[in-house]
Amino acid sequence: MYDFSLLSRETIQAIIFALFLFIIAFVSFVIIVLYTLFKYTVYTNKHKEKTKLICDVAYFHERGKRDKQEDSIYVSPMDKMETTGFVAACSDGMGGLLNGEVVSKYVTDSLREHFPYQFDAQTANARIITGISDKVYEEYHLGAGATLVMVHILDDYMNFYSLGDSNIILIRNNRATLLNYKQNYITLMIRKLAEGGLETTEAYRDNRAKGLIDFVGNLKCNVLMTNRPLRLFENDIVIVSSDGVTDSIPLNRIVNHIHFDQNADGIARTLKYGIQTRKNPRQDNYSAIVIKMRRSFV
Amino acid sequence: MIEYYTFKHRGAADEYKDEIFLRLVPNLTVAIFNGNKLDSPKSQSLLFSEILSSDEGNKSIDYLTTVFEECLDKGSEYLILRVEQKGIESIRRGDVCAKIVRQGQISLLPNGYFGLSSDDRIICATSNFFDYLSDEGILADALVAGTCSEWMNMMIRRISDQSQLKCGNLSAVDLRLNT
Repeated sequence: MYDFSLLSRETIQAIIFALFLFIIAFVSFVIIVLYTLFKYTVYTNKHKEKTKLICDVAYFHERGKRDKQEDSIYVSPMDKMETTGFVAACSDGMGGLLNGEVVSKYVTDSLREHFPYQFDAQTANARIITGISDKVYEEYHLGAGATLVMVHILDDYMNFYSLGDSNIILIRNNRATLLNYKQNYITLMIRKLAEGGLETTEAYRDNRAKGLIDFVGNLKCNVLMTNRPLRLFENDIVIVSSDGVTDSIPLNRIVNHIHFDQNADGIARTLKYGIQTRKNPRQDNYSAIVIKMRRSFV
Repeated sequence: MIEYYTFKHRGAADEYKDEIFLRLVPNLTVAIFNGNKLDSPKSQSLLFSEILSSDEGNKSIDYLTTVFEECLDKGSEYLILRVEQKGIESIRRGDVCAKIVRQGQISLLPNGYFGLSSDDRIICATSNFFDYLSDEGILADALVAGTCSEWMNMMIRRISDQSQLKCGNLSAVDLRLNT
Protein backbone atom coordinates (compact mmCIF):
# COMPACT_ATOMS: atom_id res chain seq x y z
CA MET A 1 0.00 0.00 0.00
CA TYR A 2 1.15 3.55 -0.72
CA ASP A 3 1.05 6.15 1.95
CA PHE A 4 0.00 9.29 0.07
CA SER A 5 0.16 11.35 3.23
CA LEU A 6 3.94 11.45 2.79
CA LEU A 7 3.55 13.31 -0.52
CA SER A 8 3.42 17.05 -0.46
CA ARG A 9 0.16 18.74 -1.28
CA GLU A 10 1.58 20.24 -4.52
CA THR A 11 2.69 16.80 -5.72
CA ILE A 12 -0.75 15.30 -5.09
CA GLN A 13 -2.33 18.21 -6.98
CA ALA A 14 0.08 17.67 -9.88
CA ILE A 15 -0.75 13.93 -9.99
CA ILE A 16 -4.49 14.62 -9.95
CA PHE A 17 -4.04 17.19 -12.73
CA ALA A 18 -1.99 14.73 -14.77
CA LEU A 19 -4.65 12.05 -14.30
CA PHE A 20 -7.32 14.50 -15.35
CA LEU A 21 -5.38 15.37 -18.52
CA PHE A 22 -4.85 11.69 -19.27
CA ILE A 23 -8.57 10.95 -18.95
CA ILE A 24 -9.42 13.83 -21.27
CA ALA A 25 -6.85 12.63 -23.82
CA PHE A 26 -8.11 9.05 -23.61
CA VAL A 27 -11.77 10.02 -24.02
CA SER A 28 -10.83 12.28 -26.98
CA PHE A 29 -8.91 9.41 -28.58
CA VAL A 30 -11.86 7.01 -28.21
CA ILE A 31 -14.23 9.60 -29.67
CA ILE A 32 -11.94 10.21 -32.66
CA VAL A 33 -11.58 6.47 -33.34
CA LEU A 34 -15.33 5.87 -33.13
CA TYR A 35 -16.03 8.87 -35.36
CA THR A 36 -13.54 7.67 -37.97
CA LEU A 37 -15.01 4.16 -37.96
CA PHE A 38 -18.51 5.55 -38.31
CA LYS A 39 -17.49 7.81 -41.20
CA TYR A 40 -15.65 4.95 -42.94
CA THR A 41 -18.66 2.66 -42.67
CA VAL A 42 -21.00 5.34 -44.00
CA TYR A 43 -18.60 6.10 -46.90
CA THR A 44 -18.15 2.42 -47.73
CA ASN A 45 -21.89 1.77 -47.81
CA LYS A 46 -22.51 4.90 -49.85
CA HIS A 47 -19.88 4.03 -52.45
CA LYS A 48 -20.29 0.29 -52.42
CA GLU A 49 -21.49 0.23 -56.01
CA LYS A 50 -18.41 2.15 -57.05
CA THR A 51 -16.00 -0.49 -55.80
CA LYS A 52 -14.31 -2.67 -58.38
CA LEU A 53 -12.61 -5.98 -58.48
CA ILE A 54 -8.90 -5.49 -58.89
CA CYS A 55 -6.09 -7.95 -59.41
CA ASP A 56 -3.54 -8.47 -56.70
CA VAL A 57 -0.68 -10.17 -58.55
CA ALA A 58 2.48 -12.05 -57.60
CA TYR A 59 4.60 -14.63 -59.39
CA PHE A 60 7.48 -17.04 -59.06
CA HIS A 61 9.70 -18.31 -61.83
CA GLU A 62 12.07 -21.04 -60.68
CA ARG A 63 14.39 -23.57 -62.28
CA GLY A 64 13.94 -27.16 -61.11
CA LYS A 65 16.43 -29.93 -61.87
CA ARG A 66 16.56 -29.04 -65.55
CA ASP A 67 19.69 -27.58 -67.14
CA LYS A 68 17.81 -24.63 -68.53
CA GLN A 69 14.85 -22.53 -67.50
CA GLU A 70 12.33 -23.43 -70.19
CA ASP A 71 9.40 -21.60 -68.63
CA SER A 72 8.70 -18.03 -69.55
CA ILE A 73 6.07 -15.70 -68.14
CA TYR A 74 4.43 -12.46 -69.16
CA VAL A 75 2.53 -10.01 -66.99
CA SER A 76 0.98 -6.96 -68.65
CA PRO A 77 1.51 -3.41 -67.32
CA MET A 78 -0.77 -2.72 -64.38
CA ASP A 79 -1.08 1.04 -64.83
CA LYS A 80 -3.73 0.87 -67.59
CA MET A 81 -5.55 -2.09 -66.15
CA GLU A 82 -8.87 -0.26 -66.07
CA THR A 83 -8.97 0.22 -69.83
CA THR A 84 -6.88 -2.58 -71.30
CA GLY A 85 -7.48 -5.20 -68.65
CA PHE A 86 -4.83 -7.40 -67.17
CA VAL A 87 -3.05 -10.15 -69.09
CA ALA A 88 -0.93 -12.92 -67.58
CA ALA A 89 0.64 -15.75 -69.54
CA CYS A 90 2.93 -18.67 -68.90
CA SER A 91 4.69 -20.65 -71.61
CA ASP A 92 6.56 -23.89 -70.99
CA GLY A 93 9.09 -25.21 -73.51
CA MET A 94 8.26 -28.77 -74.49
CA GLY A 95 10.46 -31.39 -72.90
CA GLY A 96 12.28 -33.71 -75.27
CA LEU A 97 12.47 -31.09 -77.98
CA LEU A 98 15.27 -28.66 -78.63
CA ASN A 99 15.20 -24.92 -78.00
CA GLY A 100 12.36 -25.07 -75.47
CA GLU A 101 13.68 -21.99 -73.69
CA VAL A 102 13.98 -20.06 -76.96
CA VAL A 103 10.44 -20.87 -78.05
CA SER A 104 8.80 -20.13 -74.69
CA LYS A 105 10.65 -16.80 -74.52
CA TYR A 106 9.63 -16.03 -78.09
CA VAL A 107 5.99 -16.75 -77.21
CA THR A 108 5.87 -14.40 -74.22
CA ASP A 109 7.85 -11.72 -76.08
CA SER A 110 5.37 -11.92 -78.96
CA LEU A 111 2.46 -11.65 -76.54
CA ARG A 112 4.06 -8.55 -75.07
CA GLU A 113 4.40 -7.02 -78.56
CA HIS A 114 0.72 -7.59 -79.32
CA PHE A 115 -0.51 -6.03 -76.07
CA PRO A 116 -3.13 -4.52 -75.58
CA TYR A 117 -5.72 -7.13 -76.49
CA GLN A 118 -9.38 -6.44 -77.06
CA PHE A 119 -11.31 -8.16 -74.33
CA ASP A 120 -14.34 -9.21 -76.36
CA ALA A 121 -12.38 -10.22 -79.45
CA GLN A 122 -11.57 -13.74 -78.31
CA THR A 123 -11.35 -15.14 -81.85
CA ALA A 124 -9.01 -12.37 -82.96
CA ASN A 125 -6.82 -12.92 -79.90
CA ALA A 126 -6.75 -16.66 -80.57
CA ARG A 127 -5.72 -15.86 -84.14
CA ILE A 128 -2.75 -13.88 -82.80
CA ILE A 129 -1.68 -16.95 -80.82
CA THR A 130 -2.14 -19.15 -83.91
CA GLY A 131 0.05 -16.68 -85.82
CA ILE A 132 2.78 -16.98 -83.18
CA SER A 133 2.51 -20.77 -83.39
CA ASP A 134 2.75 -20.73 -87.18
CA LYS A 135 5.93 -18.65 -86.97
CA VAL A 136 7.47 -21.18 -84.58
CA TYR A 137 6.44 -23.94 -86.99
CA GLU A 138 8.09 -22.13 -89.93
CA GLU A 139 11.30 -21.87 -87.91
CA TYR A 140 11.49 -25.35 -86.39
CA HIS A 141 9.07 -27.60 -88.33
CA LEU A 142 7.86 -29.42 -85.19
CA GLY A 143 11.44 -29.64 -83.90
CA ALA A 144 10.58 -27.28 -81.03
CA GLY A 145 7.43 -26.22 -79.25
CA ALA A 146 5.91 -24.83 -76.10
CA THR A 147 2.66 -24.79 -74.21
CA LEU A 148 0.82 -21.58 -73.46
CA VAL A 149 -1.79 -20.49 -70.95
CA MET A 150 -3.03 -16.92 -70.91
CA VAL A 151 -5.75 -15.12 -68.96
CA HIS A 152 -7.23 -11.73 -69.75
CA ILE A 153 -9.12 -10.08 -66.89
CA LEU A 154 -11.22 -6.96 -67.25
CA ASP A 155 -13.35 -5.79 -64.33
CA ASP A 156 -15.30 -8.83 -63.06
CA TYR A 157 -14.73 -11.04 -66.08
CA MET A 158 -11.99 -13.27 -67.38
CA ASN A 159 -11.23 -14.86 -70.74
CA PHE A 160 -8.64 -17.57 -71.03
CA TYR A 161 -6.61 -19.14 -73.81
CA SER A 162 -4.72 -22.39 -73.71
CA LEU A 163 -2.50 -24.57 -75.86
CA GLY A 164 -1.03 -27.77 -74.49
CA ASP A 165 -1.06 -28.97 -70.91
CA SER A 166 -0.17 -26.02 -68.69
CA ASN A 167 -2.63 -24.92 -66.03
CA ILE A 168 -5.22 -22.26 -65.42
CA ILE A 169 -6.55 -22.97 -61.93
CA LEU A 170 -9.46 -21.21 -60.28
CA ILE A 171 -9.73 -21.45 -56.50
CA ARG A 172 -13.21 -20.56 -55.27
CA ASN A 173 -14.94 -21.59 -52.05
CA ASN A 174 -11.93 -23.57 -50.90
CA ARG A 175 -11.89 -25.73 -54.01
CA ALA A 176 -9.38 -25.71 -56.86
CA THR A 177 -10.61 -26.36 -60.39
CA LEU A 178 -8.55 -26.70 -63.53
CA LEU A 179 -10.32 -24.51 -66.06
CA ASN A 180 -8.58 -25.61 -69.24
CA TYR A 181 -8.52 -29.25 -70.25
CA LYS A 182 -5.24 -30.78 -71.30
CA GLN A 183 -4.84 -31.14 -75.05
CA ASN A 184 -3.28 -34.57 -75.10
CA TYR A 185 -4.08 -38.01 -76.51
CA ILE A 186 -5.73 -39.02 -73.23
CA THR A 187 -8.60 -36.67 -74.11
CA LEU A 188 -9.09 -38.39 -77.47
CA MET A 189 -8.87 -41.87 -75.96
CA ILE A 190 -11.42 -41.03 -73.25
CA ARG A 191 -13.83 -39.77 -75.88
CA LYS A 192 -13.54 -42.99 -77.88
CA LEU A 193 -13.79 -45.26 -74.84
CA ALA A 194 -16.75 -43.36 -73.36
CA GLU A 195 -18.60 -43.46 -76.68
CA GLY A 196 -18.13 -47.21 -76.68
CA GLY A 197 -19.54 -47.44 -73.15
CA LEU A 198 -16.20 -48.62 -71.75
CA GLU A 199 -14.15 -47.67 -68.71
CA THR A 200 -11.25 -45.33 -69.37
CA THR A 201 -8.47 -46.93 -67.30
CA GLU A 202 -6.63 -47.82 -70.48
CA ALA A 203 -6.30 -44.15 -71.46
CA TYR A 204 -4.20 -43.41 -68.38
CA ARG A 205 -2.00 -46.51 -68.54
CA ASP A 206 0.03 -45.59 -71.57
CA ASN A 207 2.54 -42.81 -70.84
CA ARG A 208 2.69 -41.93 -74.52
CA ALA A 209 -0.94 -40.80 -74.29
CA LYS A 210 0.28 -37.78 -72.35
CA GLY A 211 1.78 -36.55 -75.64
CA LEU A 212 0.29 -33.25 -76.76
CA ILE A 213 -2.07 -33.01 -79.69
CA ASP A 214 -1.75 -29.25 -79.85
CA PHE A 215 0.92 -26.78 -78.78
CA VAL A 216 2.68 -23.61 -79.88
CA GLY A 217 4.79 -24.70 -82.83
CA ASN A 218 2.05 -26.79 -84.40
CA LEU A 219 0.77 -25.53 -87.75
CA LYS A 220 -2.74 -24.02 -87.60
CA CYS A 221 -3.11 -24.99 -83.97
CA ASN A 222 -6.49 -25.06 -82.29
CA VAL A 223 -6.41 -22.58 -79.41
CA LEU A 224 -8.69 -23.47 -76.53
CA MET A 225 -10.50 -20.27 -75.57
CA THR A 226 -13.57 -18.99 -73.82
CA ASN A 227 -16.26 -17.89 -76.25
CA ARG A 228 -17.89 -15.92 -73.45
CA PRO A 229 -16.05 -14.56 -70.41
CA LEU A 230 -16.20 -16.18 -67.00
CA ARG A 231 -17.47 -14.09 -64.09
CA LEU A 232 -15.01 -13.56 -61.24
CA PHE A 233 -15.87 -12.81 -57.64
CA GLU A 234 -14.11 -11.27 -54.68
CA ASN A 235 -11.47 -13.59 -53.16
CA ASP A 236 -11.27 -15.78 -56.25
CA ILE A 237 -7.72 -16.92 -56.83
CA VAL A 238 -6.49 -17.59 -60.36
CA ILE A 239 -3.20 -19.42 -60.84
CA VAL A 240 -1.59 -19.45 -64.28
CA SER A 241 1.20 -21.99 -64.12
CA SER A 242 3.43 -24.47 -65.85
CA ASP A 243 2.90 -28.18 -65.11
CA GLY A 244 5.98 -28.16 -62.84
CA VAL A 245 3.71 -26.70 -60.16
CA THR A 246 0.98 -29.35 -60.30
CA ASP A 247 3.52 -32.18 -60.70
CA SER A 248 4.66 -31.43 -57.16
CA ILE A 249 1.43 -30.15 -55.64
CA PRO A 250 -1.55 -31.96 -57.17
CA LEU A 251 -4.64 -29.91 -57.87
CA ASN A 252 -6.64 -31.35 -54.98
CA ARG A 253 -3.90 -30.42 -52.50
CA ILE A 254 -3.27 -26.86 -53.64
CA VAL A 255 -5.86 -25.45 -51.25
CA ASN A 256 -4.02 -27.05 -48.33
CA HIS A 257 -1.11 -24.73 -49.08
CA ILE A 258 -3.21 -21.59 -49.14
CA HIS A 259 -4.62 -19.46 -46.37
CA PHE A 260 -7.53 -17.48 -47.63
CA ASP A 261 -6.61 -14.29 -45.85
CA GLN A 262 -3.27 -14.27 -47.65
CA ASN A 263 -2.58 -11.80 -50.41
CA ALA A 264 -1.20 -12.88 -53.80
CA ASP A 265 2.37 -12.44 -52.60
CA GLY A 266 1.79 -14.70 -49.59
CA ILE A 267 0.07 -17.36 -51.72
CA ALA A 268 2.87 -17.34 -54.30
CA ARG A 269 5.47 -17.65 -51.57
CA THR A 270 3.64 -20.51 -49.83
CA LEU A 271 3.24 -22.41 -53.09
CA LYS A 272 6.88 -21.95 -53.99
CA TYR A 273 8.07 -23.20 -50.62
CA GLY A 274 5.58 -26.05 -50.86
CA ILE A 275 7.19 -27.20 -54.09
CA GLN A 276 10.71 -26.74 -52.75
CA THR A 277 10.05 -28.76 -49.61
CA ARG A 278 8.87 -31.70 -51.72
CA LYS A 279 12.53 -32.05 -52.86
CA ASN A 280 11.44 -33.88 -56.00
CA PRO A 281 14.62 -35.30 -57.60
CA ARG A 282 13.06 -34.83 -61.03
CA GLN A 283 11.50 -31.45 -60.34
CA ASP A 284 10.57 -29.72 -63.58
CA ASN A 285 10.92 -25.95 -63.87
CA TYR A 286 8.06 -24.32 -62.01
CA SER A 287 6.51 -20.96 -62.67
CA ALA A 288 3.20 -19.46 -61.69
CA ILE A 289 1.40 -16.17 -61.71
CA VAL A 290 -0.99 -15.86 -58.78
CA ILE A 291 -3.90 -13.45 -59.13
CA LYS A 292 -6.16 -12.72 -56.20
CA MET A 293 -9.31 -10.75 -56.86
CA ARG A 294 -9.87 -8.00 -54.32
CA ARG A 295 -12.58 -5.37 -54.10
CA SER A 296 -11.29 -1.83 -53.96
CA PHE A 297 -12.28 1.79 -54.54
CA VAL A 298 -9.55 2.14 -57.18
CA MET B 1 -32.87 -23.70 -82.99
CA ILE B 2 -32.33 -26.22 -80.20
CA GLU B 3 -29.14 -28.16 -79.94
CA TYR B 4 -28.82 -31.04 -77.52
CA TYR B 5 -26.56 -33.97 -76.73
CA THR B 6 -27.27 -36.97 -74.54
CA PHE B 7 -24.82 -39.14 -72.66
CA LYS B 8 -25.48 -42.43 -70.96
CA HIS B 9 -22.87 -44.72 -69.46
CA ARG B 10 -23.21 -47.78 -67.32
CA GLY B 11 -20.15 -46.80 -65.31
CA ALA B 12 -19.16 -50.38 -64.40
CA ALA B 13 -22.50 -51.02 -62.69
CA ASP B 14 -24.36 -54.29 -63.27
CA GLU B 15 -27.39 -52.63 -64.78
CA TYR B 16 -28.84 -49.31 -65.81
CA LYS B 17 -30.93 -47.68 -63.16
CA ASP B 18 -31.12 -44.36 -64.97
CA GLU B 19 -33.02 -43.58 -68.13
CA ILE B 20 -33.14 -40.62 -70.48
CA PHE B 21 -36.29 -39.89 -72.45
CA LEU B 22 -36.73 -37.40 -75.22
CA ARG B 23 -39.95 -36.30 -76.83
CA LEU B 24 -39.63 -33.98 -79.79
CA VAL B 25 -43.27 -33.08 -80.54
CA PRO B 26 -45.05 -30.78 -79.95
CA ASN B 27 -42.24 -29.29 -77.86
CA LEU B 28 -38.89 -30.77 -76.96
CA THR B 29 -39.25 -32.55 -73.63
CA VAL B 30 -36.25 -33.97 -71.87
CA ALA B 31 -36.78 -36.33 -68.97
CA ILE B 32 -34.24 -38.10 -66.80
CA PHE B 33 -35.32 -40.88 -64.50
CA ASN B 34 -33.15 -42.15 -61.66
CA GLY B 35 -34.17 -45.36 -59.95
CA ASN B 36 -31.08 -45.69 -57.81
CA LYS B 37 -33.10 -45.83 -54.60
CA LEU B 38 -35.66 -48.32 -55.91
CA ASP B 39 -35.81 -52.10 -55.63
CA SER B 40 -37.20 -52.54 -59.12
CA PRO B 41 -36.05 -49.55 -61.15
CA LYS B 42 -36.81 -51.20 -64.51
CA SER B 43 -40.57 -51.38 -64.00
CA GLN B 44 -40.74 -47.84 -62.67
CA SER B 45 -38.63 -46.57 -65.52
CA LEU B 46 -40.94 -48.32 -67.99
CA LEU B 47 -43.99 -46.80 -66.36
CA PHE B 48 -42.33 -43.39 -66.45
CA SER B 49 -41.63 -43.69 -70.16
CA GLU B 50 -45.14 -44.97 -70.93
CA ILE B 51 -46.73 -42.01 -69.23
CA LEU B 52 -44.44 -39.62 -71.06
CA SER B 53 -45.07 -41.14 -74.48
CA SER B 54 -48.84 -41.34 -73.96
CA ASP B 55 -51.27 -38.45 -74.45
CA GLU B 56 -50.64 -37.46 -70.85
CA GLY B 57 -47.13 -36.52 -71.93
CA ASN B 58 -48.55 -33.59 -73.94
CA LYS B 59 -50.25 -32.07 -70.94
CA SER B 60 -48.88 -29.41 -68.66
CA ILE B 61 -45.89 -30.11 -66.46
CA ASP B 62 -48.02 -29.55 -63.36
CA TYR B 63 -50.50 -32.17 -64.49
CA LEU B 64 -47.69 -34.58 -65.37
CA THR B 65 -46.21 -34.15 -61.92
CA THR B 66 -49.53 -35.09 -60.33
CA VAL B 67 -49.70 -38.22 -62.47
CA PHE B 68 -46.15 -39.20 -61.56
CA GLU B 69 -46.80 -38.58 -57.89
CA GLU B 70 -49.76 -40.97 -58.07
CA CYS B 71 -48.19 -43.69 -60.20
CA LEU B 72 -44.52 -43.88 -59.27
CA ASP B 73 -42.93 -45.33 -56.16
CA LYS B 74 -41.70 -42.94 -53.49
CA GLY B 75 -37.99 -43.39 -54.18
CA SER B 76 -38.32 -42.42 -57.84
CA GLU B 77 -36.32 -39.40 -58.83
CA TYR B 78 -36.82 -37.52 -62.06
CA LEU B 79 -36.43 -34.28 -63.90
CA ILE B 80 -38.70 -33.10 -66.68
CA LEU B 81 -37.70 -30.17 -68.78
CA ARG B 82 -39.85 -28.79 -71.55
CA VAL B 83 -38.75 -26.15 -74.01
CA GLU B 84 -41.41 -23.49 -74.40
CA GLN B 85 -41.53 -20.42 -76.65
CA LYS B 86 -38.69 -18.38 -75.22
CA GLY B 87 -37.89 -20.30 -72.15
CA ILE B 88 -37.95 -23.56 -70.39
CA GLU B 89 -40.27 -25.18 -67.90
CA SER B 90 -38.90 -27.70 -65.50
CA ILE B 91 -39.83 -29.79 -62.53
CA ARG B 92 -37.64 -32.08 -60.53
CA ARG B 93 -37.98 -34.57 -57.77
CA GLY B 94 -35.03 -35.92 -55.85
CA ASP B 95 -31.41 -35.39 -56.72
CA VAL B 96 -31.75 -35.21 -60.49
CA CYS B 97 -31.28 -31.58 -61.42
CA ALA B 98 -30.41 -29.07 -64.09
CA LYS B 99 -27.86 -26.27 -64.05
CA ILE B 100 -27.86 -23.23 -66.25
CA VAL B 101 -24.86 -21.31 -67.52
CA ARG B 102 -25.67 -17.67 -68.07
CA GLN B 103 -23.47 -14.59 -68.35
CA GLY B 104 -20.36 -16.34 -67.14
CA GLN B 105 -22.06 -17.82 -64.09
CA ILE B 106 -23.65 -21.14 -63.23
CA SER B 107 -26.70 -21.75 -61.10
CA LEU B 108 -29.28 -24.39 -60.33
CA LEU B 109 -32.33 -24.24 -62.60
CA PRO B 110 -35.37 -23.59 -60.41
CA ASN B 111 -38.67 -25.44 -60.73
CA GLY B 112 -41.21 -23.66 -62.91
CA TYR B 113 -40.88 -21.46 -65.98
CA PHE B 114 -37.56 -19.82 -66.69
CA GLY B 115 -36.97 -17.35 -69.53
CA LEU B 116 -33.89 -17.99 -71.61
CA SER B 117 -31.65 -15.70 -73.59
CA SER B 118 -29.50 -16.59 -76.52
CA ASP B 119 -26.43 -18.69 -75.71
CA ASP B 120 -27.69 -19.86 -72.31
CA ARG B 121 -26.66 -23.45 -71.78
CA ILE B 122 -28.30 -26.10 -69.67
CA ILE B 123 -27.02 -29.37 -68.31
CA CYS B 124 -29.45 -31.88 -66.81
CA ALA B 125 -28.05 -34.91 -65.07
CA THR B 126 -28.28 -37.32 -62.19
CA SER B 127 -26.54 -36.54 -58.92
CA ASN B 128 -23.91 -39.16 -59.67
CA PHE B 129 -22.85 -37.17 -62.73
CA PHE B 130 -22.62 -33.90 -60.80
CA ASP B 131 -20.77 -35.52 -57.89
CA TYR B 132 -17.59 -35.66 -59.95
CA LEU B 133 -17.84 -32.13 -61.28
CA SER B 134 -17.37 -28.75 -59.68
CA ASP B 135 -19.59 -25.87 -60.75
CA GLU B 136 -16.51 -23.99 -61.93
CA GLY B 137 -15.47 -26.94 -64.10
CA ILE B 138 -18.90 -27.20 -65.73
CA LEU B 139 -18.91 -23.45 -66.25
CA ALA B 140 -15.43 -23.29 -67.81
CA ASP B 141 -16.25 -26.14 -70.18
CA ALA B 142 -19.53 -24.52 -71.21
CA LEU B 143 -17.76 -21.26 -72.00
CA VAL B 144 -15.06 -22.97 -74.02
CA ALA B 145 -17.14 -25.52 -75.93
CA GLY B 146 -18.49 -24.60 -79.34
CA THR B 147 -21.11 -27.34 -79.44
CA CYS B 148 -23.13 -29.39 -76.98
CA SER B 149 -21.21 -32.57 -77.81
CA GLU B 150 -17.92 -30.79 -77.17
CA TRP B 151 -19.20 -29.56 -73.81
CA MET B 152 -20.32 -33.04 -72.82
CA ASN B 153 -16.98 -34.55 -73.84
CA MET B 154 -15.11 -32.05 -71.71
CA MET B 155 -17.23 -32.88 -68.68
CA ILE B 156 -16.75 -36.60 -69.30
CA ARG B 157 -13.00 -36.02 -69.35
CA ARG B 158 -13.26 -34.41 -65.91
CA ILE B 159 -15.34 -37.29 -64.53
CA SER B 160 -12.96 -39.79 -66.07
CA ASP B 161 -9.93 -38.09 -64.50
CA GLN B 162 -11.40 -38.88 -61.09
CA SER B 163 -13.25 -42.11 -61.57
CA GLN B 164 -12.12 -43.58 -64.92
CA LEU B 165 -15.85 -43.94 -65.54
CA LYS B 166 -16.14 -46.73 -62.98
CA CYS B 167 -18.46 -44.69 -60.83
CA GLY B 168 -21.88 -46.15 -61.52
CA ASN B 169 -24.55 -45.02 -63.96
CA LEU B 170 -24.04 -41.66 -65.61
CA SER B 171 -26.88 -39.97 -67.46
CA ALA B 172 -26.89 -36.43 -68.74
CA VAL B 173 -28.33 -34.17 -71.40
CA ASP B 174 -26.93 -30.78 -72.26
CA LEU B 175 -28.76 -28.32 -74.42
CA ARG B 176 -28.57 -24.88 -75.89
CA LEU B 177 -31.32 -22.73 -77.26
CA ASN B 178 -30.50 -20.23 -79.95
CA THR B 179 -33.53 -18.03 -79.61
